[in-house]
Amino acid sequence: MNVNLKIWRQRSGSTKGVLKSYRLENIDPNISFLEMMDILNIKLVKEKKDPVTFDHDCREGICGSCGFMINGRPHGPQKATTVCQLHMRAFNNEDDILLEPFRAESFPVIKDLSVDRKAFDRIISSGGYISTNTGEAPEANSISINKEYADEAFLSSACIGCGACVAACKNSSAMLFTSAKVSHLSLLPQGQKEGKDRVAKMVATMDDEGFGSCTNTGACSAECPKEIGQVNIARLNQEYISSSLSSLLKKKE
Amino acid sequence: MSIIKLLTSSVGRKILMAITGLLLAFFMAFHLFGNLFLFVGEDAFNAYVEKLHQLGFLIRIAEFFLVLFVGSHAYSGTLLWIKNRKAKKVVSSYSKVNTSSAARSAAFTGSIVFIFLATHWSTFWYKFNFDLQGMSYYYVVTESSVGFGSPAVSIFYIIAIALLGYHLKHGITSAGQTLGIVGTKYEKIYNNFSAIFWFWIPLGFISIPVWFGFLVRVI
Repeated sequence: MNVNLKIWRQRSGSTKGVLKSYRLENIDPNISFLEMMDILNIKLVKEKKDPVTFDHDCREGICGSCGFMINGRPHGPQKATTVCQLHMRAFNNEDDILLEPFRAESFPVIKDLSVDRKAFDRIISSGGYISTNTGEAPEANSISINKEYADEAFLSSACIGCGACVAACKNSSAMLFTSAKVSHLSLLPQGQKEGKDRVAKMVATMDDEGFGSCTNTGACSAECPKEIGQVNIARLNQEYISSSLSSLLKKKE
Repeated sequence: MSIIKLLTSSVGRKILMAITGLLLAFFMAFHLFGNLFLFVGEDAFNAYVEKLHQLGFLIRIAEFFLVLFVGSHAYSGTLLWIKNRKAKKVVSSYSKVNTSSAARSAAFTGSIVFIFLATHWSTFWYKFNFDLQGMSYYYVVTESSVGFGSPAVSIFYIIAIALLGYHLKHGITSAGQTLGIVGTKYEKIYNNFSAIFWFWIPLGFISIPVWFGFLVRVI
């Protein structure tokens, strides 16, 4: 199959970007999208041109490294799929494919399709941890967990932190990401030690990083490659309300 | 967490918007109850408004809170809107998959409703309280030029209330999400009640200009 690519080329965060056209012919429809990008880059290198920069690592859809906008949708047209797990058969012969980086002021462009998502790391380090002794792994059955909570926490923990939710959102809100992390830890007994402080710290960091606020449009969940649900956001809000109330009622030290 | 920090964080502002929004939606139900006396008859409506006026300072306190709720709802919404626009400067690049246009246009519909409220206070509310000029309340609403005697007023009223309904269609579900009702056992009952506020109550308001502004003149 043949494809006509239009790719956002930007030398660095401080320079202006432009869309450039590329044409690839005789592409096997069963290769992955990133393999198609590799073919393009090999071609560009042979022509002594600058290859297109894009993030990728595991190419198994589990690490959260890859991700850019394909025809205006994060990770492309296929539901619950990361770019690396997307195949060229999802497109038609002679399709025009528009590639842009994730757009958000909190995700500055590094080069071409690669953006800086360290803001997510800072949200995590502000509260996305548990306090536990290091050393030998404890006996797995020493803490019993309700099946219902374990399942819900597992669904929330599926978040790979790729940033598609921020890119999908018209406000560049990081609520789906933050709420998945808050839900995951607050549903499990291991996450109780930090208590209600976790949500307050993570929301404060999220605001400081310049992400927009959630207006409950639901675009994030619809585009999430791991199908993280809106219920996580409701759970973050519950946690936030009870955190606020308990801190207001707390005695002055 | 101090109360200031709580009320100025993005989630805190949304909680404030959810609570004030729901209280204002409840007020709409009460407001409609009064308006429907128009259909009962001239004397019934005039007597009802007179009753309200006899409450005196209680009404003024209620009005103060209404203005406070509208003001804080609009103020928080505007600040969040500014923050959101700063967070995404390439506004064309976001996904419209599975999002409702009611959600995406909530800031716009809210702004129109705000303009409507400003005209509503400067006409009906002002006339009723300070500038009756010997007219009955019923006459101000149904016949005068600030009321549904003017087709332009009727049309603007109908459009504004329809947009208010559309604003509430997103607002009520959004408030449920913000207050953490989604995902709990109360979600279903909450959603069942939401249509009363975004559909039936606005429809009740719209019926008044449709009837007194147009139908009653034709029939």
